Amino acid sequence: MLASSCQNMPESYAPPVQRQPFEDSRPHRMSRIVNVADADAASHFVRDIAPGEPAPWKWTNQNPAVKVTPRTNQGLRYIIDFTLPEVTFKTTGPVTVTFSVNGHDLDRVKYTAFGEYHFEKAVPPEWVEPLKETTVEASIDKVWVAPTDGAKLGFILTRMGLTQ
Amino acid sequence: MWQAFWALLGAAVTVAGCYATGALAIDYLDARLRREERLPLAFVLGASLLHLAIFAVLALKIAYRPVLIAMMAAVIGAAVWRGSWKLKGESFAPLDNRLKVFGGAIFALFTVLYFFHAWAPESSPDGSGYHLGLVTRYLRVHGFEQVVTSMYANLSAGIEMLYFPAFAIGKHSSAALVHYAFLIALVMLMFAYGRRIGRPWVGAAGALLMYASPVVGLDGSIAYNDCGVAAIAFSVFYWLELWDEARAAKLLIPIGLLAGYCYAAKYTAFVMAIYALGFVVWKTRRVRPALIVAVCASAMVVPWVAKNWIYAANPVAPFFNKVFRNPYRHVVTDQEYTEYLSNYGVENKWTLPLEVTVRGQNTGGLIGPVFLLAPVAFLALRFREGRRLLLPGLVMLAPYMTNVGTRFLIPCLPFFSLAMALAVPWAPVLAAILVAHAWLSWPSHIPSYSAKYAWRLDRILWKQAIRKIPQDRYLSENFAGYGVARMIDDNAPKGARVLAVNGVADAYTSHEVLVGFQAALNDDLADVLNAGWDEIRQPERRRIFKFPARTVRRLRVLETAKGAPLEEFKVTELRFFFQGKELPREPEWKLRAWPNPWDVQMAFDNSPVTRWRSWETAWPGMYIDTDFGKYQMVDEVDLDTSPDYANLRLQVESMDASGQWVKIADDPRDEVLRPPPDIRRWASRELHERGIDYILMQDTDWGADDMREDPGSWGFKEIAKGHGARIYQVVTP
Repeated sequence: MLASSCQNMPESYAPPVQRQPFEDSRPHRMSRIVNVADADAASHFVRDIAPGEPAPWKWTNQNPAVKVTPRTNQGLRYIIDFTLPEVTFKTTGPVTVTFSVNGHDLDRVKYTAFGEYHFEKAVPPEWVEPLKETTVEASIDKVWVAPTDGAKLGFILTRMGLTQ
Repeated sequence: MWQAFWALLGAAVTVAGCYATGALAIDYLDARLRREERLPLAFVLGASLLHLAIFAVLALKIAYRPVLIAMMAAVIGAAVWRGSWKLKGESFAPLDNRLKVFGGAIFALFTVLYFFHAWAPESSPDGSGYHLGLVTRYLRVHGFEQVVTSMYANLSAGIEMLYFPAFAIGKHSSAALVHYAFLIALVMLMFAYGRRIGRPWVGAAGALLMYASPVVGLDGSIAYNDCGVAAIAFSVFYWLELWDEARAAKLLIPIGLLAGYCYAAKYTAFVMAIYALGFVVWKTRRVRPALIVAVCASAMVVPWVAKNWIYAANPVAPFFNKVFRNPYRHVVTDQEYTEYLSNYGVENKWTLPLEVTVRGQNTGGLIGPVFLLAPVAFLALRFREGRRLLLPGLVMLAPYMTNVGTRFLIPCLPFFSLAMALAVPWAPVLAAILVAHAWLSWPSHIPSYSAKYAWRLDRILWKQAIRKIPQDRYLSENFAGYGVARMIDDNAPKGARVLAVNGVADAYTSHEVLVGFQAALNDDLADVLNAGWDEIRQPERRRIFKFPARTVRRLRVLETAKGAPLEEFKVTELRFFFQGKELPREPEWKLRAWPNPWDVQMAFDNSPVTRWRSWETAWPGMYIDTDFGKYQMVDEVDLDTSPDYANLRLQVESMDASGQWVKIADDPRDEVLRPPPDIRRWASRELHERGIDYILMQDTDWGADDMREDPGSWGFKEIAKGHGARIYQVVTP
């Protein structure tokens, strides 16, 4: 065993092939979007999003929110994909959803029909501090209340967060 | 259904082969055994001999299915032909009916649970990872090959050798069933020991304390090796007891073989060989008997040492890499790994007894609350047999603090279980303890007291075992690792290597998956990948040494301070200047570094994502040395590095005409560097240049969100997604 400790160490090496810079590259685009299907999605949930295993979509309560940590506050856009299902819409009728970041209301949109929706809007840089946890929220004014157990359902969430 | 049949057949053939080999050996040694102890002793002894034969088959690269089957058929045929197959010998005194019914009921209950679990599709993390991953790999190439991408390939694998014939016939579940056979042999042997010392209740109670232990049942019914190790260690003890009674010199041969097999099965079990040697020397006060034991043990140990020496340049790989320096495993990774194994994240070691007996989450499984009574075992010291049991028990317990995983207690558990039973010599009390233990160990009762995520058996998997629920469906729905492995096979071209941050179920993919911490090569690749997104690894600091211009032929940067634990010396780029102009790197330059001489080129390749690292805590005397091959004028040395170390002190030295190193500059000026904005592309190109075009990221892996949010900036394309993971392909290197 001692004999085997006498290894042949390399004598020396010549300089290797030199790597050259790229001519056609672009910088990274920050995108902190929580997709509820992702395995780590639950770690971003702040409130009002159905817990449990990752799934392609999840029910929310009235004020769903996620937390993300953007590296920059420049050129950020709020982004959300959600569905107002026919089954709840029949009861609630038209609803208004308020989109906010760190408690600042970004926009308020009235939806008069059920269906799938995408909302996207630029976020003022001063609302976000780089490398700090940022809360991205959406608040629906009317929820559907289950007659049996009183459970409140807002809308169906697919993804929400910030992107550049 | 056919899968179930082949799984059973593969295991049956292998187990029969082990028994046949052992039975032949026992008859050759003319060992006088009781009928009840012949079967388990023959199985374990045969396993040791057969493992050596299978090792030889793999070394000769003739591990084809017909060869393995022929081997088994030959030993079974020989045993039948020579009459060794029959169970021979006198029986122990008959058992009383109460013991038969009571012990038999508990044994039968847990046997149903374990047997079906072993027979069901294999879904254990390490079993489907490296234990069987390496079996499938070696079977693909019909023998051993150098594996520089997994430290697990360097662990001794004496029990896994027996998985080869089993796997060749019946795949994964066959291997688990073979391991389960070791557990059955162990329980039979413990029971036989009790009968041999005239205390059948003690034997039965000790055996059932062991058998019903939750972690024992779980581990023994998957393709691990801990119960196998326990069976081998207890066999050594048993043969020593037989030898001590008969003092037949021939019995020293199985003692030696099995003592060596302990090492071959698991490094830490080698302590049993020391116990065996010590016992023989103590009893005989002579060298020759100990020499017989040592020589026989060597026959089992040497092949594994030699294999590692040849393939890993380290006879005890993957450990002691600071002594046996090699390019395959980094010292710091070794340190971090052993540090983790010594605590499993359990800060307060005083909580370990509760963790391993009751909670079972942090250390992976629980041996059962009844083992909180383990100190009772020391009451057995009043008996000669108790003293005989506790000494090897303590010897097997000794290495436990190097790895505090619950299952690493299994090898010492037979001794303590029997000693506990011996300490309580009243059958009704033993029966009550056993009932409580069995009740507490039944899967549906464990959650009432264990931690929420304790590693444990869940239920009887009979539908899965007989494949009434198809194997593919069961694994896809219940084992994410299987889904990821299938995703790799479905999306990466044949032969493509895949880089991953965490381990996968290697046994279910034909691709080689390089996992970050498992080898030096993987460490380097992971370091490149992480440099793409993790600022702490990027060259954000330039250390500038300026000095009066001088003519030099050879320069080195020397590290002169002791680093904090795990604080390494790291150099992304080292450049030399004269009058503000960089000296172009010439082919005649000779680059050296110490330690880790193999990676020195990474500090001279003009890439911000590759770096030379000492890969061990910095100590005075580490260096990077450049011989220019001719005299050069130099007045500045720039060292680009990451910001993640503070305690190191560097100086530049030149070699004078007499060959002495002379300090020419220290106290460098630091400048902040901005890594290139396209550093991710640098990383992916580097991986491509090193033969890696596929990256597997679990959604929860470090860096996964960075790739997920903009794969294009990496030059990646997401080609598959599912089971909590994504596969990226390098498309624009």
